[in-house]
Amino acid sequence: MSDQAIVPDRQQQLPIYAKAHISSAIRFLRQGLPRTGIDNDQARLVIGFYCLATLDILDALESASSESEKEGWRSWIWAQQIRGIWGSGFRGSPGAATNQPASSEYDPPFLIMTYAALLSLAILRDPLTQLDREGLRKYLKISQREDGSFKLFPTSEEYDLRMTYCAFSICSMLDDWSSINIPSAVTFIQSCRTYEGGYGQEPNNEAHGGSTYCALASLHLVPPSSNYAGSSALLTPAQHAQTTRWLLHCQDASETGGGFAGRTNKVQDACYCFWCGASLDILGMAQVVNADANASFLLECQFRFGGIRKDRVSNPDPYHTYLALASLNILSKDTTNPPFEEALDPLWNARASTQLWLKQRLHATPATAAPA
Amino acid sequence: MATETPPPPVLYADREEWRDITPLEQSDLENPLVPIFYPIEYKDAMDYFRGIVATKEHTDRVLELTEHIIRMNPAHYSVWQYRYSTLLALCSPEYLTKELDLMDELCLKFMKYYQVWSHRKLLLLLPESPSSTSGPNPLAHIIPTPSQELTYLSRVLATDAKNYHTWAYRQWVLTHYGDTHPGIWEYELIATDILIEDDVRNNSAWHHRFFICFASGAQNGVEERELAFVKSKISLSPNNLSAWNYLRGILDKLKIRYAELQTFVELYSGPRVGNRNEDEDEVEVYDLDNPRPSSNADLPCALAIEFLADIHEQEGDNEKAINVRALTSFDAFIPF
Repeated sequence: MSDQAIVPDRQQQLPIYAKAHISSAIRFLRQGLPRTGIDNDQARLVIGFYCLATLDILDALESASSESEKEGWRSWIWAQQIRGIWGSGFRGSPGAATNQPASSEYDPPFLIMTYAALLSLAILRDPLTQLDREGLRKYLKISQREDGSFKLFPTSEEYDLRMTYCAFSICSMLDDWSSINIPSAVTFIQSCRTYEGGYGQEPNNEAHGGSTYCALASLHLVPPSSNYAGSSALLTPAQHAQTTRWLLHCQDASETGGGFAGRTNKVQDACYCFWCGASLDILGMAQVVNADANASFLLECQFRFGGIRKDRVSNPDPYHTYLALASLNILSKDTTNPPFEEALDPLWNARASTQLWLKQRLHATPATAAPA
Repeated sequence: MATETPPPPVLYADREEWRDITPLEQSDLENPLVPIFYPIEYKDAMDYFRGIVATKEHTDRVLELTEHIIRMNPAHYSVWQYRYSTLLALCSPEYLTKELDLMDELCLKFMKYYQVWSHRKLLLLLPESPSSTSGPNPLAHIIPTPSQELTYLSRVLATDAKNYHTWAYRQWVLTHYGDTHPGIWEYELIATDILIEDDVRNNSAWHHRFFICFASGAQNGVEERELAFVKSKISLSPNNLSAWNYLRGILDKLKIRYAELQTFVELYSGPRVGNRNEDEDEVEVYDLDNPRPSSNADLPCALAIEFLADIHEQEGDNEKAINVRALTSFDAFIPF
């Protein structure tokens, strides 16, 4: 059945099925994934992050799980912090570990998992005292390539904007940019820009909503206080206009649309309502989005028994569930039923109180010195 | 009940030839986050994988075990990684040839996984990786040439013409080998011709065309050729964002004023000019600079109106730009 074939009645906006989404997220955290989820075996931490963030954004973490259960999850996440020759970071699961906790060539830390671990721990209100800061700085340094990009894991041949975003977010969380080379990283980001105004995953790749979010969020995370002139990292007015235009064209303008596609001439998909919607918010252009149509589409993607789907017919999953809610928060915070408690920071992709928790635990006071 | 289920797989735990390996269970904690319900076949294979990694074994049976796991979970980086280092250690033309055949199968089958492309790239880079001896890598001659690789990628794109990983990999092959093998660029334009002919809204093909025409060094006459090409595609399907973005891309890249396209754009931004049916007897001259909309095109075209507004803006006439832009939000201009 084609998603486009469904003609929704949009006279009245659907509510957020919050209770169902909360029990679905809890079920994934506790009981996990069925055998069809095997290909997430090395990415359990990031699936966990989407579930925890779902509970956080719906303001349900306190009521949905006990303190001892949360303590168990915190311990599990800390058990994924591994130290080794590359410094210290987080892996997505203990699946490749032979004699943990020592990190080996085949059981390395991953940048994406490290980003997800820090946010998950903040959501769980962990004191973060177990974080190996020095090791993490070393790991960040080792992850950066000569062209400014960052490797997925230290011996990987994958280096794209996802990892740049994670590295920048981690530096921003630590309030310490001294272990990475900002100018070369910014040059790499700029080289991923395409003639359409979006960014591809790597240089010369097609403009893509996810990569565009990673590029824009990274550029806006660069601290103005760093020796590197932050302003030259940002977009020129012409680039700003071109990127805004490309992002707006990703929104499906048809009667059954409202959602965003990830690339030109592709179909709308709930996750791009976040990647493109948050990108527009970062550019200060959220007000020109048709937010009601976006909300209608996302609410129609809800599965009545919990979870949100990429469209109106697929199966729900934790990734689309969280990103759909995050998009609603950014673009329709006060108009949904029920409205969201708190705003989401589009750069870290975390709600305000979670962001504050992390800052209070990890930021040095006063702000650390600028990199030499 | 038992007779209805398929016969259970023969586990490594029950196989004589694996008895020397001590299987290692995954050490999860009491309160695991997002546990996965592993089928017994996967759990058993992973226990032996961990056992192999612990003993640092790099023999041919590691290839068997890791292929088995990859077919169940193509996203396991560590398994791919261990397989790669085993291939390096074995340093055998026979195993490498088999591996390349296997990757032809798996990149098609699992094209949506980053890992298959990452492994393929590592194999292609093998001749450049330092070998144990100081001479050239003894396996170098087995690795496909860049043009063979591009031929394979066309096969993959024939099954999914918009797969992002396949396109990204193709762009990597071209940038990595383009200087040393300049001949590999030759077929690329025709490849995009075919894909755009097949689906004029295939933005991946349009993007690739821009990359080969404008991002990889200047070629003579490319500007005129590509402007004519994109205009002809707009005339066939005016409401095609890919083509308009391509047109804008060329103008931006070559710093051509949008106003130079005004005559062309105005054929699309208003109601149809003239009626072809009445002029049936006349032989229509195809104007390469300003091809007219095809007879079944939906006009006026919102993307042309947007372009016209941008012409006014570029020429400094903001009031006119605002007035024209306002037209695109009229329902009347949604294609009917």
